[in-house]
Amino acid sequence: MNCPMEHRKPETLVAYAAGELDGETAASIERHLRVCPGCRLWVAEQAALWKTLDIWEAPAVSADFDRRLYRRVAGEVRLSWWERLTRTLRPMPLRQILPLAATACLLLIASFLVQQPDQLAPPHPGAGLVRADQVERTLDDLELLRQFGAGNQVEAPHADTM
Amino acid sequence: MGVAAAALDYDAELMLRVKDGDGVSFGLLLEKHRVPVIHFLYRLVQESAVAEELAQEVFLRVYRSRSSYEPTAKFTTWLFRIATHLGLNWLRDGKHERGLERLDYNSTDVPIHQISDRRASVEQQLVSDAKLAEVRLAIAALPEKQRAAVLMHKYEEMEYSQIARVLGCSESAVKSLLFRAYETLRARLAHMGR
Repeated sequence: MNCPMEHRKPETLVAYAAGELDGETAASIERHLRVCPGCRLWVAEQAALWKTLDIWEAPAVSADFDRRLYRRVAGEVRLSWWERLTRTLRPMPLRQILPLAATACLLLIASFLVQQPDQLAPPHPGAGLVRADQVERTLDDLELLRQFGAGNQVEAPHADTM
Repeated sequence: MGVAAAALDYDAELMLRVKDGDGVSFGLLLEKHRVPVIHFLYRLVQESAVAEELAQEVFLRVYRSRSSYEPTAKFTTWLFRIATHLGLNWLRDGKHERGLERLDYNSTDVPIHQISDRRASVEQQLVSDAKLAEVRLAIAALPEKQRAAVLMHKYEEMEYSQIARVLGCSESAVKSLLFRAYETLRARLAHMGR
């Protein structure tokens, strides 16, 4: 009872049992079945399964199916842009939404920077003056400290005399 | 599928008319494919109310996609691809487990003629219901791709090439899927064919 279908694809038997093969291929299978009890049994069982599966009938479609659908189709026209966007994104997994959100953020930042070019422009000349003032003040402080130090040195001999 | 081949697909032509704003063509597509889509989804999710709800979503998505529609594949392939995607997603969400627990086969999912057939005796009806329950459970127990392939092949009579496009695999992979699925079903339902 070993199946000689090892010489060809066993899937061919499914197609044969379903009546899907062309005349020539079906004839070659029939020739094979005459000499192969294993395949004959397989085809008989497949035919029985086919009949068994036929007992499962689907129920009738609801009478208002079309009406419900057309009502939803009509509702499509009235959707706002935000509802359309959220509906598009809803079935997307997080790993697809995150890159989109990151890109949107980058675009927002880029557009913000483009609209405010002065923020990136080099500092205006006034900025240099501020720094000169600071340097001048620092030099004054140093001069004061130097004078203070010099004063200490003048007073030092008094200490020696004591 | 090239443009020339697509020209032979009347459904694709209708869909292109829908794209141009022709609502009547959408109605024709709905009329032609409503029942096969609902029946396919019903056998996939095994709940008639859910199947109809999912089918509504399928046709709604077809309508929404009208402006971007290009006839790159057979219309039914596209349609069943959407249906399979929605049906399998529903099953993956685990909502079906609740449904399978209450498969009593006396619900409204049973075809009306089976209930109203007064000639059938109570005993015959019980045997018939039990057989039906076994078939449904055997198909529900198949891995999801095998299940979808069997439903498209056996009940919707779709070609291997079309099933392959719907499931996104090769034709030989579909043949192999079907062979394995039928082997499983034969083993499980063998006693019913005797």
